[in-house]
Amino acid sequence: MKREYQDAGGSGAAGDMGMSKDKMMSAPPPPQEDEDVDELLAALGYKVRSSDMADVAQKLEQLEMAMGMGGVPAPDDGFTTHLATETVHYNPTDLSSWVESMLSELNAPPPPLPPAPRLAPASSTVTADGFFDIPPPSLDSSSSSYALRPIPSPAVAPADLSADSPRDPKRMRTGGGSTSSSSSSSSSLGGCVVEAAPPAAAAAAEANAIALPVVVADTQEAGIRLVHALLACAEAVQQENFSAAEALVKQIPLLAASQGGAMRKVAAYFGEALARRVFRFRPQPDSSHLDAAFADLLHAHFYESCPYLKFAHFTANQAILEAFAGCRRVHVVDFGIKQGMQWPALLQALALRPGGPPSFRLTGVGPPQPDETDALQQVGWKLAQFAHTIGVDFQYRGLVAATLADLEPFMLQPEAQDGPNEEPEVIAVNSVFEMHRLLAQPGALEKVLGTVRAVRPRIVTVVEQEANHNTGSFLDRFTESLHYYSTMFDSLEGAGSGPSEISSGPASAAAAATPGTDQVMSEVYLGRQICNVVACEGAERTERHETLGQWRGRLGHAGFETVHLGSNAYKQASTLLALFAGGDGYKVDEKEGCLTLGWHTRPLIATSAWRMAAAP
Amino acid sequence: MMQFTHAAVTASPLHPNGAHGLGLGLFLDVGAPRARQWPAGGFASTPPPLPTSSKISLGNLNSAGCMEQLLVHCANAIEANDATLTQQILWVLNNIAPSDGDSNQRLTAAFLCALVTRASRTGACKAVTAAVAAAVESAALHVHRFTAVELASFIDLTPWHRFGYMAANAAILDAVEGFPVVHVVDLSTTHCMQIPTLIDMLASRAEGPPILRLTVADVASCSSAPPPVLDMSYDELGAKLVNFARSRNVSMDFRVVPTSPADAFSSLVDQLRVQQLVLDGTEALVFNCHMLLHAVPDETAGSVSLAQSVSLRTMLLKSLRALEPALVVVAEEDADFTAGDVVGRLRAAFNFMWIPYDAVDTFLPKGSEQRRWYEAEVGWKVENVLAQEGVDRVERQEDRTRWGQRMRGAGFRPVAFGEEAAGEVRTMLNEHAAGWGMKREDDDLMLTWKGHNVVFASAWAPS
Repeated sequence: MKREYQDAGGSGAAGDMGMSKDKMMSAPPPPQEDEDVDELLAALGYKVRSSDMADVAQKLEQLEMAMGMGGVPAPDDGFTTHLATETVHYNPTDLSSWVESMLSELNAPPPPLPPAPRLAPASSTVTADGFFDIPPPSLDSSSSSYALRPIPSPAVAPADLSADSPRDPKRMRTGGGSTSSSSSSSSSLGGCVVEAAPPAAAAAAEANAIALPVVVADTQEAGIRLVHALLACAEAVQQENFSAAEALVKQIPLLAASQGGAMRKVAAYFGEALARRVFRFRPQPDSSHLDAAFADLLHAHFYESCPYLKFAHFTANQAILEAFAGCRRVHVVDFGIKQGMQWPALLQALALRPGGPPSFRLTGVGPPQPDETDALQQVGWKLAQFAHTIGVDFQYRGLVAATLADLEPFMLQPEAQDGPNEEPEVIAVNSVFEMHRLLAQPGALEKVLGTVRAVRPRIVTVVEQEANHNTGSFLDRFTESLHYYSTMFDSLEGAGSGPSEISSGPASAAAAATPGTDQVMSEVYLGRQICNVVACEGAERTERHETLGQWRGRLGHAGFETVHLGSNAYKQASTLLALFAGGDGYKVDEKEGCLTLGWHTRPLIATSAWRMAAAP
Repeated sequence: MMQFTHAAVTASPLHPNGAHGLGLGLFLDVGAPRARQWPAGGFASTPPPLPTSSKISLGNLNSAGCMEQLLVHCANAIEANDATLTQQILWVLNNIAPSDGDSNQRLTAAFLCALVTRASRTGACKAVTAAVAAAVESAALHVHRFTAVELASFIDLTPWHRFGYMAANAAILDAVEGFPVVHVVDLSTTHCMQIPTLIDMLASRAEGPPILRLTVADVASCSSAPPPVLDMSYDELGAKLVNFARSRNVSMDFRVVPTSPADAFSSLVDQLRVQQLVLDGTEALVFNCHMLLHAVPDETAGSVSLAQSVSLRTMLLKSLRALEPALVVVAEEDADFTAGDVVGRLRAAFNFMWIPYDAVDTFLPKGSEQRRWYEAEVGWKVENVLAQEGVDRVERQEDRTRWGQRMRGAGFRPVAFGEEAAGEVRTMLNEHAAGWGMKREDDDLMLTWKGHNVVFASAWAPS
């Protein structure tokens, strides 16, 4: 990796280099790297004692100068000021030593590598059918072949496409913070060219040029600096000090490259997300059917590679099955039908329950499909076939809704009763990773919960990410999501290539060499969430995860109360996990009647069940 | 399309087959070659040798047949390393087969535990044994350690063992008629519980009691010693038996030989060989093989060190024959758990082990302590059949016909049970539930439950 980014760095413009070099000469010599590593890790801090401020401020100034951003008035700069006025202090050496080490990197001479063209042709991918427009600059600095392509160049795009695509089968994400040459690559980010600020891109190129001689000898120390850089960058973003953020965000890919495994990957995603935010290069919601298809594909791989979705399904099913005990007519409303993977097991269990199966109605909600396919109906058709095989009377209805807030009670109401003697239909509402999206639109959750109340469900099952990525400052959100997704990526790493890789046929078995396809795709799945959490704001920020406590408040306020998931569910979840999670890192916990699944001590997703509270 | 690129025209690399390229194909045939996209489809389309789930849809809801099908699907999914499907079926089975349900549900629950244990033990699904042991109530953990008194009354609850005891004792009494010294070698899982009755019978025989020499195979130290477990040393047990014999005016000599079915009781057979050298023909040697022979590895247990074509089971019978015994009694369950594949064993075991679950309702109330012991023992057996491999799998029952072939092959001829023996067994069965019965098959006696074969007893002499 180092080699690669050195190559990449070689692409910097000579003029920038000269300028930077001059500044660097005045920087202090590299410090002795004698920090107490563990202490630094523990602190994760970049706050300093006021007594150290003068020194730090000076170094920061040097840093900014060295990075070619002397135009920013450093003393008044938000970033520095923030540091200077910080009154909570710990681990005072952190910032100054970090700044020093960064300076030392900047001080190093440029390598004797031939510069790559600044306009990397590989950056553009224009598809024939126009799904993707001209790509904006990519910030990828990790791959020598795709070196730097800060400025979009539609003219060269078509030629590049053919050369590019066979070499890079993944093509899943853009390279802002990416350091993995296998998964980062040319980017085709349609329709946002105007947002890509050329100066920013130039700065990126410059930073790469400057930083190229970095030889990180100590991975652990680089890891600490990586975390520092991420957090400092996020803080600079919060302070709206974009020049500092810009300087910092460029360091992240380089530092990430020195890391291995989950750390490198997760940092790359966060770096990319920060870069998108810093360069105002935010992902836009995509309405093409391809995005839906791709999202579905990622979802399927995520389902396979790790136990989170499986846990979500069988714990929710458990609650629904128990709520349906003895009912002759049941109706499940699934707020996100996807491929319908949750329902065959429930159908099978209902088919074999004592007293025979109920008649089963399923309403599957899904996003609009711009193309011809009626994906929702196809899912329903498959489920109907399955239900027929096991002898369950089954009805299905697909409901297309761009947002759950579009649903109205009459859409979910049971049809007119067949006869006066018919037992009323018992309804379950199931939401797996759907509720948090509603928080992006004011009033949407309240409306949906009102709709749910109106159909008087026997049970509402909710699975959500167990984290607060919604309320609080940007920095809080960033810090929490960094922890959250680091743990998530760790767990994927721990599970390695899942058993399904072996059993999924020769074709995919061949393709599933390490790292498993499932794992890579799952990382992309999570990477999209990271990008949304970090880079997006307003209505576009849909990954607004909240904790069980927060949901309890929201649902309680809307007139719902917890249904305790039984010990049976807990025991089952533990057993199934222990068997198939592929490591003892996964842990099921019971928390006030809800079940959480986590990695080691950190709960990551939570299943809860609700019913309408009795009228007060 | 801002967020992430998925490069429409290069969609094919996302898919191993790449054939369907774009759009529609991508949407619903996502992962089509993986067969994972629709995991539960496996219910209806798992491997070819299995019947499809049409059997499930026959309307025979919640029946043993459905349970068996699901268990078979589950076993197949485990063997195929298909975590997703396995998880789904396990979830379903868990919900339809509570371990405190009816007899079919309890039977299924025991098989489920065994499959889970198997998955954890073989690592087929990357399991963590410790975690599973914590989460699954492995049958082995609940096997009770009996005191001698507890065990005696426990065994009296059902004809399962008593049937073999009575048939064997009657045959032994016939065979040792006139011998002043009777040497009984007890190869049994039930810790000499049969012997007091035999002592009684020998004490009251017409020509006066013989000198009784009892040699007991002690297999308690084996890694997979089958239950019941006796919470008493064999020395102590022997002392009690000798005292009991003395009270019946029978002079008795008790010896314990630690040995193992895994090597065909070689230490025991070696000792007997030496003893036989100094015999003068006044001693009748009798082998009482009660539910233990099946623990000796058969041909499917893997390679035998000596000759590939000869199993330890065959070797044992031949070496017993070479000791010129007056009689060999074999009492075994009439089932075949020797299939090499776990699905074959699952089917065989499911279609035999329902009997103990069905029968238990007639003699032990739900929730009783003895019932827990009983079901733990049955569960141990199921687990051993399904979850263990190699020498640890000791529940290698073969049916009556197969044992007959083996005995004949080793140079034995069948000895028919007399009317007296049959009559005594019938009398004993009258003390138990109506479902139990007895029939003759060839020269053997067969215990039945509701007409289904359960345990056979056969007697053999050198031909």
